[in-house]
Amino acid sequence: MAGIYIHVPFCKHKCTYCDFASYPQEIGKAEIYFACMYKEMKSRSMVLKNKTFDTVYFGGGTPSFVDAKYILGCMRLIKKHFNLSENAEITLEVNPGTIDKNKLRIYKEAGINRFSLGLQTADDALLRSLNRIHTVEDFKVATKMLKGYNFSVDVMIGLPDQTLENVKNTLDLAIESGASHISCYALKPEDGTPMYSKYLNGDLPDEDTVTDYYDFTVNYLKERGINRYEVSNFCKDGFYSRHNLNYWKRGEYIGFGVSASSFIDGRRFTNTEKIDEYVHCLLNDKYAEIFSEQIEGDEAKFEYVMLNLRTSFGIDLKEYKHAFGTDFNVDFKDKLPPILKYLDITDSTVKIKEQYLYVPNNIIIQLMD
Amino acid sequence: MSKTVKKNIRNFCIIAHIDHGKSTLADRLLEMTGQVSERDMENQLLDSMDLEKERGITIKLTPVRMYYTAKDGEEYIFNLIDTPGHVDFSYEVSRSLAACEGAVLVVDASQGVQAQTLANVYLALDNNLEIMPVINKIDLASADIDGTKEEIEETIGLDCQNAPLISAKSGINIEDVLERIVTDLPAPEGDDDAPLKALIFDSYYDNFKGVICFVRIKDGTVKVGSKIKTFMSDKVFEVTEVGTFSPNLTPRTKLCAGEVGYIAASIKTVQDTRVGDTITDATNPTSEPLPGYKEALPVVFSGVYPLDGSKFNDLKDAIAKLKLNDASLTFEAENSMALGFGFRCGFLGLLHMEIVQQRIEREFDLEIITTAPSVSYRVYKTDGTMVLVENPSKLPDIDKIDYMEEPIIEANIYTPPDYVGPIMDLCQEKRGVFMDMTYIDSKRVRLLYKLPLNEVIFDFFDGLKSRTRGYASFDYELKGYEKSDLVKLDMYLNGDICDALAIIVHREKAYARGRAIAERLKEVIPRQMFEIPIQAAIGGKIIARETVKALRKDVLAKCYGGDITRKKKLLEKQKEGKKKMRRLGTVEIPSEAFMSILKIDSE
Repeated sequence: MAGIYIHVPFCKHKCTYCDFASYPQEIGKAEIYFACMYKEMKSRSMVLKNKTFDTVYFGGGTPSFVDAKYILGCMRLIKKHFNLSENAEITLEVNPGTIDKNKLRIYKEAGINRFSLGLQTADDALLRSLNRIHTVEDFKVATKMLKGYNFSVDVMIGLPDQTLENVKNTLDLAIESGASHISCYALKPEDGTPMYSKYLNGDLPDEDTVTDYYDFTVNYLKERGINRYEVSNFCKDGFYSRHNLNYWKRGEYIGFGVSASSFIDGRRFTNTEKIDEYVHCLLNDKYAEIFSEQIEGDEAKFEYVMLNLRTSFGIDLKEYKHAFGTDFNVDFKDKLPPILKYLDITDSTVKIKEQYLYVPNNIIIQLMD
Repeated sequence: MSKTVKKNIRNFCIIAHIDHGKSTLADRLLEMTGQVSERDMENQLLDSMDLEKERGITIKLTPVRMYYTAKDGEEYIFNLIDTPGHVDFSYEVSRSLAACEGAVLVVDASQGVQAQTLANVYLALDNNLEIMPVINKIDLASADIDGTKEEIEETIGLDCQNAPLISAKSGINIEDVLERIVTDLPAPEGDDDAPLKALIFDSYYDNFKGVICFVRIKDGTVKVGSKIKTFMSDKVFEVTEVGTFSPNLTPRTKLCAGEVGYIAASIKTVQDTRVGDTITDATNPTSEPLPGYKEALPVVFSGVYPLDGSKFNDLKDAIAKLKLNDASLTFEAENSMALGFGFRCGFLGLLHMEIVQQRIEREFDLEIITTAPSVSYRVYKTDGTMVLVENPSKLPDIDKIDYMEEPIIEANIYTPPDYVGPIMDLCQEKRGVFMDMTYIDSKRVRLLYKLPLNEVIFDFFDGLKSRTRGYASFDYELKGYEKSDLVKLDMYLNGDICDALAIIVHREKAYARGRAIAERLKEVIPRQMFEIPIQAAIGGKIIARETVKALRKDVLAKCYGGDITRKKKLLEKQKEGKKKMRRLGTVEIPSEAFMSILKIDSE
């Protein structure tokens, strides 16, 4: 099992918290960008013939912002050059302000069977202050359009002046819209974004408030049959994001486009974030990798542990042994004692106790060398 | 035997308040006498350590010899002996002054006479130096030349009629200073044939030559092959090299009376060549040493521990190496429950302490934890004995203590009159006893206070600076010990006593300080997986409590687009941060927490 990630670095304009590779001014470069990406995909596919891909994920930026023909183009190419499994999960990120019937028809033709909608919050004033391009009404229209489709909704906590009331309203809207999956991310003020100065000015809710919102979210969703399966991800039974789950299981994936990361045959590599550099490389028959690292031995084990512990399933001890040929309990024997009280350990699994899942770093770093 | 005047030599120093332009003037003098070409010159050449340049203060003395052809047509040898500019090093200053006949007093025309100006002038007068005033920074818009002259005449009693008016920075009137050094400062006297009498005014350890002693020859002659000894040590050494400073070491065949230079004699440690001691000829010694020798005793003590416990031996080597060059630094091994093995180090003052700490970290690349400084207490026990306690955690049990004494200083504070009130408040809070107040002129007041040293090391400088917007200056002298009602304040973290956080305080201040430290620790200790109570206690009785709440939320990087590497880096960074913390029982505390308890402004 493996995943394919496709990065679409275009959007209408930047949200105030965004530090992802997305370039609103560069939409004129979409044609050349996708041409180069097709080239990258074809070229990479040569050495990936022996792998079966189970998920495809279009992330951004705003994949729904660009002409839908590019999405279709990508999918045709993938189907032609990669072993895509029959029931593959194919997800497209959608900004509610950018979707229409026509696009949806093309997405359907492309084989998209899952959508991820960025709602963030059910408050128009707050949406405006985040520089989001859509309104609450746009979201309602979009989800009506997506009726019958499998989709996920992204919401955020820790926004400026956000109240618990707002968190509740946002979750209600997401649930009512028919989402099978909800991702709830706490705002992380990144240096260089407009949000960062708000953070520096102390205009954001403090750690305790955000945690209160998070705890509320976990319980509120649980009561409604939407359960946490990863620190920030919740779903109805069986509706996991298979693509993301693959990351957390330390599965393989290939990423295309700027800033995309890959993990194939033990090697992690990442493309440049710059569109021009990416295009220049591909036009000159080169990949645009700016980072590459072969992960082996103890580091591979640590990665496995670090990723799996983020999930509510934890580490599957049998899978661990299958992957590395050694026992988790032996490999980490010396490091476990100080963190035992934060873990649930059975014969078959090791997980972080539910009440500590929001503070995983302090537990995980104890397992580092 | 007869003294002769060495009429073509001038030995002098430059004295000034900090920032009044001492180093800049020294640079100009070097430039004008062609000692260094302008192009080669790094600013402030005499301050050789990086730390000195950064701070703009002189710690280590570097003498320099210059040649100047005066208007009278004769060539003169100038020996400029630079002096440290901080109260911590006042003994070193006094020995440097004793190597000179004259002093150039630099006063900033925009600031006038300051505390250190006076302190240094008094030291110079004690050493019978001829003082030549120079008014600096005359080109500043805020310069008040006449006012400054008047002030010098009134407060110091020096005639300023002919004082050179200069700008060291812009190079205005530097020649005037050179000429005046020739005409106004006296030439040294001495007898080349008398038994050797050389004053050590500084020394440092050189890996190849051994200790290099900086000396002023008062009488006699020293050359390679001479057998020498000092008065404080019985060891005899054979001189391997003598020379002068250019400012680099420049070997010569001999040094005669009146000269300033260096002696190397394969001496292994600076302990054998203490500043202020007299070197004489081992075969034909002089009967009397030069006056004024004092052993510079440390007055401030703190625990220095390696952040990484396994680096104890590296720390030991580092301190021992610094000690080679620094006779006034003391250290002995100690053991803390909280911090493991380390050293209790003694320093001349807070600045000296900070310098030593920074040198350990920079020059030896060791990360260290320093505990809050303490002074040395005299503890009189019920069994009639007295012990010196430099480490609060080593204070005997209360029932074994009859009474205690603490060191007292006399502080000279110079301030514009507007700030007299706030300064008096500050001194009051710091248990000061008012001694005297004099108006120097309409713009400056001198306050004399008796203060416990233990209060001065607790944030006194910062308090003085902030309450006077930096206008007040301060200097002090240790006066002795006085009986005092002192208690030990213990700190508990998560129920465990933390010996490295203990301090000794006056009973009346214990409650407030305990509360303040608990609050401070709450700020500096990051939230952890569990709740951490912080308690302050006197004799087992809890007087203050704060709580560091349990950590509830981590900064989580999204696994967006599968960038696992970024996520790993974040964890690695967090792990690195953790390594910089010290583990006390189950609690992790950042190393700066130990010093942070000092930075508490008393209300």
